[in-house]
Parts: sequence; C-alpha cells; structure tokens
Amino acid sequence: MQIQTTAEDQRIAWLAALAITIHILESAFPSPLPGIKPGLANVITIVVLVQFGWRSAAWVSLLRVLCGSLLLGTFLTPTFLLSLGGAVCSIAILWLACRLPGRGFGPVGFSLLAALAHMTGQFTIAWLLFIPHPALWRLFPVLLTAALLFGTVGGIIAGGISNRQRQCST
Amino acid sequence: MMTRADRVLMAIVLCALPLLYLHIWTDQEPATMLRMQVADMDATVTPLTPDRHVQLAGPIGESIIEIRAGQARFLDSPCPGKVCVHSGWLREAGQLAACLPNRISIQLLGSRPRFDAINF
Repeated sequence: MQIQTTAEDQRIAWLAALAITIHILESAFPSPLPGIKPGLANVITIVVLVQFGWRSAAWVSLLRVLCGSLLLGTFLTPTFLLSLGGAVCSIAILWLACRLPGRGFGPVGFSLLAALAHMTGQFTIAWLLFIPHPALWRLFPVLLTAALLFGTVGGIIAGGISNRQRQCST
Repeated sequence: MMTRADRVLMAIVLCALPLLYLHIWTDQEPATMLRMQVADMDATVTPLTPDRHVQLAGPIGESIIEIRAGQARFLDSPCPGKVCVHSGWLREAGQLAACLPNRISIQLLGSRPRFDAINF
C-alpha cells in the first residue's frame, strides 16, 4: 500500500523533524526550576504559523510532542501529558489569535500568547492531576514570568527567521 | 518588528503579571487566634487581643509567649538552643513556632485553616 503524500505533508514532516530535533536537544539542558525551559522548539511552531498557517503549525506542534516523547521514552508518562496539554492549549490560543482582524499579531505576539497558554495549560494539568494543593499556585506567577521572557525571546527569533526566509524567497 | 496587537498584548501582560503576583502572594489572612500546646495536654486557643505575656510551664521550665499587635512569639524559653525564640514573630495565620526541649508549640490561626505545616 502506498500513501499519497502532498507537498504540504512533506513540508510538515520536514518542519516537524526540525522541531523534534530541537525538542530533544533542549531536553538535555538542565532546568533551574521544574516547568521552566526555553521552549526553543516552539520557535519552529511560530515560524510555521507565520509562513504556512495554523493548520501546519498545529500538525508540527502535535507531531513534535508525540515523536519527541517516543524518542525520549516519555510517551504516556506524566511528562508527556504535561507536554501535550501545553501544546494543545497553545495551539488553541493561536487558533483564536489568527482570527484577530486587521494586521493582527506578529511573531512576537503569537509566541508570547503560545508560551503563556502553554504554561497555563501545563500548570493546570499539573495541579489537577499531580499536585492538587493550593500552595502550588504560589509558583504560577514565577512560571508565567519565565513564559513571558522565553515567549518574547522565542518570538523575536521566530520573527528573524521568517524575515530571512522571506528575503531568500524573493 | 512588532505589530500594534503585539505591543498591546505585551502591555497587557506586563501590567497583569505584577497584579497576579500581588493577588497570589498576598492572600495571607490576618490571624485571629493563637493555639498553644504544652506536651500532651489539650491545646488552648486564645484570642490575639489584648497584648500580653503568657507563661507556659513545660517539662524543663517556664516559656514566655509574647502577644502583641496580632502577632505572637516566644519571648523566652529555658531551652539550650533558643530556636523557638529565634524563629521570631509569627505574623500570618498558619505560622507555627515550637520549643521542642520544653515541648511547647504555638500556632496562629485564621478563620479557615490553611496548612498543617509548611516545609522548606
């Protein structure tokens, strides 16, 4: 049996592979606090969103979570659930953000929204499933601050990559 | 580089984040009562007004608890280490200080119980 692939399928596969690579490289870095990491793989999601639209970005993001967890051996573990929850939340907020009329958000706005949604979703899941203790919320503003920082930096990187790609294609 | 929506979003987030810190980190409710326990005896709960000193007799001597302005502390205790005295004022509901040698513990209580213990 042969599956017919479109050019879009192949593009998504390439981009997802890139995101997975970054995801795995990033998992090797130590984290100062549980839950805080730069989220560099999300830079790819934002670039894809800006260049190819929301559908491709959603595919790349979910494929990254799935394949990343299979390669790291965290599939269906709590880590995977947190990762998936965060990805689903950020994809959902990006879907909304894409529908903003006018010029809309740029890469920085998308990235910031995605980072905040990712953190909020992940945190809520951690609280509901793993540590249902009200004191956990004390950590929430700190984590959101990290999301703000890394989301903004990631957005600037994504913006830079998109601009360069546009220059190349013209 | 940044669109107007980006800037508006950034401004909202930068304003909301400090508010979130304030909201989540300052929900400490003022304490209203002080719970004192000596050894295996029943704990006594006493209001935090008026300001006064309370003498508690434990196995190795008499500990003095000072209650002032809605706060409480070990003023003195006959223990060797004085850990209880050095733990200072208890200000918020749920905070606890104990003198283990003299088997005395004090804890501030609010209208609703928060934590049994906080560990760092």
